[in-house]
Amino acid sequence: MMNRVQTSKTILWSLLGFAAAVGLTRFVFGLGATTNLSDGTPWGIWIGFDVLAGVALASGGFVMTAIFYITKREEFKPLVRPAVLTAFLGYLAVIFGLMFDLGLPWNIWHMMIYWNPHSPLFEVGWCVMLYTAVLMLEFSPMPLEATNRYAKVREFLMKLRLPLVIIGIMLSTLHQSSLGSLFLIMPHRLHPLWYSSLLPVQFFVSAVALGMMMVALESIVSHWLYRRSADTTLVAKLAKFAAWVLGLFLAIRSVDIAASGEIAMIFEGSREAWLFIAEILMSTVIPILMFSIKRIRTKPAGQLVGSLLVVLGMVFNRLNVGGVAGLRPDALGYVPSLMEIIVSIGVVSAAALVFMFAVERFSIWRERPQDDQADPYARPNFDRAAEVWLGAPAVAARNKYSLVFVLSFTLGIAVIPGDRLESKGVVDAVVRKARGGQILQIDGNHDLFGTPFNHAAHIDSLGRDSSCVKCHHMNKPMDEQSGCWECHHNMYTVSDAFGHDWHAGPDGANIACRQCHQGERRAETVKKCAACHTDQLPPGATISIDSYLAPSYVDAMHGACVACHRQVAAADQTKAGLPQCAACHPKLPSERQLPFADFELSPRTVNPVVLPEAPADSLAENGG
Amino acid sequence: MSVAILTDVTKCTGCRQCITACKQTNHLTYDRPRRWQERDGLSAANWTSILQRPDKHFVRKQCRHCLEPACVSACPVGALHKTAEGTVVYDSDMCLGCRYCMMACPFGIPRYDWDRAVPYVRKCVMCYDLLKEGRQPACTEVCPEQATIFGQRDQLLAEAHRRIRENPQRYVNHVWGEHEVGGTSVLYLSDIDLGFLLGTSDLGDLSLPETTRLAMKAVPPVFVGMGAVMYGVHWVIRRRMELSRRASEKDEDDE
Repeated sequence: MMNRVQTSKTILWSLLGFAAAVGLTRFVFGLGATTNLSDGTPWGIWIGFDVLAGVALASGGFVMTAIFYITKREEFKPLVRPAVLTAFLGYLAVIFGLMFDLGLPWNIWHMMIYWNPHSPLFEVGWCVMLYTAVLMLEFSPMPLEATNRYAKVREFLMKLRLPLVIIGIMLSTLHQSSLGSLFLIMPHRLHPLWYSSLLPVQFFVSAVALGMMMVALESIVSHWLYRRSADTTLVAKLAKFAAWVLGLFLAIRSVDIAASGEIAMIFEGSREAWLFIAEILMSTVIPILMFSIKRIRTKPAGQLVGSLLVVLGMVFNRLNVGGVAGLRPDALGYVPSLMEIIVSIGVVSAAALVFMFAVERFSIWRERPQDDQADPYARPNFDRAAEVWLGAPAVAARNKYSLVFVLSFTLGIAVIPGDRLESKGVVDAVVRKARGGQILQIDGNHDLFGTPFNHAAHIDSLGRDSSCVKCHHMNKPMDEQSGCWECHHNMYTVSDAFGHDWHAGPDGANIACRQCHQGERRAETVKKCAACHTDQLPPGATISIDSYLAPSYVDAMHGACVACHRQVAAADQTKAGLPQCAACHPKLPSERQLPFADFELSPRTVNPVVLPEAPADSLAENGG
Repeated sequence: MSVAILTDVTKCTGCRQCITACKQTNHLTYDRPRRWQERDGLSAANWTSILQRPDKHFVRKQCRHCLEPACVSACPVGALHKTAEGTVVYDSDMCLGCRYCMMACPFGIPRYDWDRAVPYVRKCVMCYDLLKEGRQPACTEVCPEQATIFGQRDQLLAEAHRRIRENPQRYVNHVWGEHEVGGTSVLYLSDIDLGFLLGTSDLGDLSLPETTRLAMKAVPPVFVGMGAVMYGVHWVIRRRMELSRRASEKDEDDE
């Protein structure tokens, strides 16, 4: 029979399994393959949720220690240890989650040796590092209690309690507010309803309220999960405090928005305006109203709904600041990928599992939760192979958790979209202008890899004078010709786009039969196109040409005109003006010459594509 | 000494020689359009691009090498720094990949190796190693129209104002980069408005590092102040409890 605890743990282990699969993928294939981050939105939910919201959610540690140790409110004692544990795990989760977001996470320690005190992020990094150490010292008496050894260490740590608490509050004040300072430098990104020079103050005040509500929520949930007696009176007191702090937060924001004359923006009906209204209602207005009514504040259901609203609302606030309420019309719209969401869920699941591990072993609460499965009369495990009695298992149902984790991990690996990883983010692009001339070297993206395009051969094969319209659909806006891919759907497969007679004929390439056909002259014996056209993509590659941004009209035109202009100018002294820019661009000064004395249509000396000897079956790496 | 680049939009023919020169000099790989690229031609393998505006106006986009760069101020480890010569360069050995520089840049310049397992921030460094050899950047060296030229910033500013003075009807009377976000080392002359190069037009002449400077200055006093307040509150409350305990003991003694 499964109880609530075991069911929850099974679910958490399963989520962790999925997250492990995705997390592994992220490190093997990079951020582009797994996330929807882009050059326009380099920060996503791994910053907005895992870091900004994570740190704020963990602020219960410093708030509760302040209430208990500084203002001596002894009645809050039962909530202090869970708050310190939550905070410690919260910070560990933030650091752990950050590892997925950082491009070079193994360099995170560089903050210790390379200093840039101008950077708010530098300050946040140091504070988080130091505060996590403080939290570890505040937390470590709890596991030390569980062992009978190291009593002196524990006594020493208990003596350090007050200085540790004060240092913890000092550090928290700094980095909770500095997370807001991070965004001061980007007025060009953050919507005016969120951007404010008071962001650091707002972040700090909201973190205090959020910390209290997170402690309350954690108390309510663990009460349900472990069937403990509820801390209803304490939570009611916390709710009252929180309502005041939320009120302060609301006042600061209202005054700030009013002072900067942005009130009208709230009602303009834009996406950001609705986000703002939802956030304010959820995080402050509704909870304040609920908590100011005593009948709601003292009832478990009211406490659950109120604290949940604050927690969700403030997380929403951090997500909005972290990029949802952006201000970049030109930026690509960011919606987190499923893989990003799974990793974030996995980090939270891991923290929850460690939390459950800790409360079951150390005295975090007044009472130790009883493991329903721990039957004192249960028979110990028997290992058949060694024929020994192993004693009672340390973790109930550990086989089940392992199985669930491994299955989820496997399933996760199986369902990760392989084409997304394989594509390396390459998207279809419209082939742009190229026309005129005999052979154009089309290299529109200036990657120094061109494709020779034989214009004359295309005219011949498509029907002479009537052939133009087959490619030059002049009715297409911004596109004076069709892309190659409109006919050559699949390059490097046998298709009627291959001009056999042109290749064989004396007017064309004039290639002897045996140069292409090994043995019999059949279609099956022919070499791949790319065996000769080595400047193209690897043989065997089946690639739609629209994924390869080809031509540049400018280069094509210059390449087509310049060589001939030069020849004529060299031969005929009366036409010396031909190589000048002004010959074609009348607005330009006449003395200016085209620079390309030996205009190479596409220099191919840098980064050649390495062709495998045998035709490869799959799309090879894209070189470079 | 501070070097700079002056780009005259009215002279640019959009031949893109600067892009090719940039690629060859900086050993950039070839590039394909990727999901994460913005539509401005810049990418991890394209450090400069030509933006085409209506009526055959070509605007070359590149790192502006701000006088007070937001990216340099934001980087937590100082991997980006403004050199004595005036270029903003990047040290990949220091970088930890937080991408705060990309968030902070008002021009949206720094790009990321999103497709690599070991990614770095990539952007124009004004061919810093060429500058060290006493040469000019590849893009200005190769420009056939001298639409983009290299020189000392004050001299280029004087040249820009001279061109406007001599040809007032040809140019908008504004040198982009003279004052924007505190001034940049890449200057533009144009006959069309270039406000679109900035993320939002209302940034004005605000130097972005200034926005965090005040908050960062408040850090030490807030840190010490919070500690003092907390200890003070603790001391007062403990003292009060002590006094009330003594008072109650005294009451008991009196009885």
